[in-house]
Amino acid sequence: MVVQALAFYLFAAVVVASAMMVIAARNPVHSVLFLILAFFNSAGLFVLMGAEFLAMILVVVYVGAVAVLFLFVVMMLDVDVTQIKHGFLQYLPVGVLIGLILLIELAMVAGAWVAVPEAQSVAQIPFSPGGDVTNTQALGAVLYDRYVYLFQAAGLILLVAMIGAIVLTLRTREGVRKQSISDQISRRTEDSVEVKDVPSGGGV
Amino acid sequence: MEEFLTGYALPVGIILAQILAIVVPLLVAVAYLTYAERKVIGAIQLRQGPNVVGPFGLLQPLADGAKLFFKETILPSGANRVVFLLAPVLTFSLAMVAWAVIPVNEGWAIADINVGILFLFAISSLGVYGVIMAGWASNSKYPFLGALRSAAQMVSYEVSMGFVIITVLLCVGSLNLTDIVLAQETVWFAIPLLPMFVIFFISTLAETNRAPFDLPEGESELVAGYFVEYSAMSFALFFLGEYANMILMSAMTTILFLGGWLPPLDIAPLTWIPGPIWFALKVALVLFCFLWVRATFPRYRYDQLMRLGWKVFLPFTLIWVVLTAGVLVAFDWVPK
Amino acid sequence: MNIGNDILTALPEIFLACSAIALLMLGVFRGEGSSRLIMTLSVTALIVTLGLLLMGPTRNTSAFNDLFANDGFGDFMKMLVLIGAALTMVMAQRYIEREQMARFELPVLLLFSTVGMLMMISANDLIALYMGVELQSLALYVVAAIRRDTLRSSEAGLKYFVLGSLSSGMLLYGLSMIYGFTGTTNFTTLAEIFANGGEVSLGLTVGLVFLSAGLAFKISAVPFHMWTPDVYEGAPTAITAFFAVAPKIAGLALFVRVLMGPFGELVDQWQQIIVFIAVASMLVGALAAIAQNNIKRLMAYSSIGNMGYALVGLAAGTQEGIRAVGVYMAIYLFMNVGTFAVILCMRVNDRMVERIDDLKGLSRTNPLIALALAIFMFSMAGIPPLAGFFGKLYVFLAAVESGLYILAVIGVLTSVISAFYYLRIIKVMYFDEPSEAFDQPIGREMAVVLTATSVIVLLFFIMPSPILESASAAAEAFFPAGP
Repeated sequence: MVVQALAFYLFAAVVVASAMMVIAARNPVHSVLFLILAFFNSAGLFVLMGAEFLAMILVVVYVGAVAVLFLFVVMMLDVDVTQIKHGFLQYLPVGVLIGLILLIELAMVAGAWVAVPEAQSVAQIPFSPGGDVTNTQALGAVLYDRYVYLFQAAGLILLVAMIGAIVLTLRTREGVRKQSISDQISRRTEDSVEVKDVPSGGGV
Repeated sequence: MEEFLTGYALPVGIILAQILAIVVPLLVAVAYLTYAERKVIGAIQLRQGPNVVGPFGLLQPLADGAKLFFKETILPSGANRVVFLLAPVLTFSLAMVAWAVIPVNEGWAIADINVGILFLFAISSLGVYGVIMAGWASNSKYPFLGALRSAAQMVSYEVSMGFVIITVLLCVGSLNLTDIVLAQETVWFAIPLLPMFVIFFISTLAETNRAPFDLPEGESELVAGYFVEYSAMSFALFFLGEYANMILMSAMTTILFLGGWLPPLDIAPLTWIPGPIWFALKVALVLFCFLWVRATFPRYRYDQLMRLGWKVFLPFTLIWVVLTAGVLVAFDWVPK
Repeated sequence: MNIGNDILTALPEIFLACSAIALLMLGVFRGEGSSRLIMTLSVTALIVTLGLLLMGPTRNTSAFNDLFANDGFGDFMKMLVLIGAALTMVMAQRYIEREQMARFELPVLLLFSTVGMLMMISANDLIALYMGVELQSLALYVVAAIRRDTLRSSEAGLKYFVLGSLSSGMLLYGLSMIYGFTGTTNFTTLAEIFANGGEVSLGLTVGLVFLSAGLAFKISAVPFHMWTPDVYEGAPTAITAFFAVAPKIAGLALFVRVLMGPFGELVDQWQQIIVFIAVASMLVGALAAIAQNNIKRLMAYSSIGNMGYALVGLAAGTQEGIRAVGVYMAIYLFMNVGTFAVILCMRVNDRMVERIDDLKGLSRTNPLIALALAIFMFSMAGIPPLAGFFGKLYVFLAAVESGLYILAVIGVLTSVISAFYYLRIIKVMYFDEPSEAFDQPIGREMAVVLTATSVIVLLFFIMPSPILESASAAAEAFFPAGP
């Protein structure tokens, strides 16, 4: 158990530290890299909890795909942090005030927190239901069976997001010569080459 | 003290020994893969290949290694130092880390985890960071272009790779690599899932930035792509990482489609040969294909590469996933 | 789980979603020229969905593990949403063709948005609620910005998106609080917890406040209304017509379902919030509209005010109140569709105009349209015996019956104030010197929509029973043992 505790504190500390660095780093690319580090360590925390499938999916989806595109964009933008922070002091008092109010509210709420008995039993459910059922199977059963409606709804939302991205950004440019594979393949020698008998000394 | 020794020191020692048992042969294999590459391509192009250092040039990789080791590591003045140095280290270590879950024989894996194939997929998808970080940190045009190309390319081909893996998983019913191999006892998946096998192989070429998808390096247009600014050991780490990745991808192909450590037929003379040898042979075969492709095909143009990934592989693999699932359900072959 | 039964229960939604996907495919393969075909088929799909809804044998059934619920209230509100969506889409086609924005994605997105609205109305779980809201609003963000080359449309889309995501965040925060303090996301379970005297903690109340704020944003109730005038003005007019009708009805229906369903026992907790929102909306709707010169902005404030009146019925929290909300929304639907049909006819020399001054002397240049608009304006102002009067009447009666006298008085006062700007339009049309005449002809479908809506608004008092009775049936859903 000691090793697990150590691993937990290591992962947790790195997550918190890198999350801090995400907002503190001056260079936006560094911010994204710290974000990736935070994702990665959260995946580590998932592994410690026994949620190995979630951990791997977190890495595959967030680190492997989403953050890459994020990094891709941030690298190409010329983000000037000082420009963004311009006017920061001006809004600081208001921001601090709102933050304080929210903090007090949250504290009041947390102080009054009486978890219902059902919630406590939920917290104790192991990620893997035990026996032969791996947590991948358990997740699948919940996602595709119990919550199939929400799963399909989420699919529709993503479809709409995709249509939206295409509708708002796709521009078909005129006059672009595109490669047409079928044209290339169906081209025959006879269409393009003419064999001529050239009499010697006569020219074409 | 006694408890410490048996409880902590011993397991740690065992794990270290296991790691060494994987990493050392792997590094040797990487070294000789570079040698094999030059020899194979030489042979295909009717040349000799390296033949001066040692018998048949066998010591050539060591000489190359020593040369790189003693060169000066140059840090470009405009480079972002930390990221610049982190990139090759990342590439190399990721290529090593993935080997933790590869079973070379039944039970011969450092970590035989439930979600092994996802782990491999996750680690291979991280490979892109080494490239991007190198390209960005070099603060130079060619590396940056190379990095952008690589990022787009690797992300694109990962999608179809993911679907290929899903078809295999549908046939196995488990994410565990050992289970995947054992499910191929009757027939290797390369036969029923032949189109997926081909797509997977081509995607691994793109994923490892190998010819004909080596646009991120593209020496004729981008000088050498993302590692233009690297020299000496930092370059060597990239180099080692790339070849280790090739071996890793071959191992993945072997496990997913070529039956891992299983002999081709379950008959007497073939079963005498131990599993790891079969595994190594199959990996070598796939690696040979890597080299063969490099010697044979011209480089893809960038739009062709994207078209192939998104407009050909993606729809095809999607259809195949549905088809596989449909066949499994229709004939009641769904693995329990 | 019996999947066949589930599909049957949610058949209208499933049919609409599948037809949207099929139309998307059709559009992609037929190319840009297919806008008219897709629009026609979309409207057909909406009508078929309406048919499925009416034929559906399902009352008080739930599906998909109690994530989805069907009841009389849902059926009624879905009917309104479908009619509103279909009418506004019928009106939209000619406009989008003239304005060179005929793209096949537009009707498809509107269909997806409608699916989202139906899901909102049927939501029986906090997650299902959120999914429905997101599907509906995401499609609308895109649609608002669909004229991506014009500054105003992109601005409208972006504003809507940014503020909408903020409100989604609030909504989600509220939902997570509610889940955290009760341990469930299911409406049925929540209702049981409170019915059995479950403790109402502070956190739950905070969650409820955030939830109400998020929903108030979606129906553009004050103080979460700031986006409305800009989005209404910036979005293409045909899209504004859609915004003003279907999403409002769906949002209000969801508001009613959430507060009356799972939190029905907590009337004390949420009544003051709703009273405040209702009063503020009515006031802002009445006062801010006076200064407007743009008819679309005017309609934006008018819809803010109308939401306030509808919320008065919800604030009552009684069966009468819910019935009044149903009636009000049904009448609101027809008045608004009609008014926007007139706005869509406001074209001078092949160019859309949208200033109130452009209506000058309409009674002489185009008496029929002027008459129709006059009917709608009188109705919105609440002049008897037009439909709008009855809508307000039922709402205020419900408020008075549950003792909210002050609320009813404020409602009547704001109603008088808002009569000023509604009547001003009539004055401009009938007593000012004519400016340029509007382009003719307005198109057959416009004429049909205008005639139908104005007849309904005008003659509601002769045959009010269909709407009243279905609204009563709808309200019974929350009071199973009611009178």
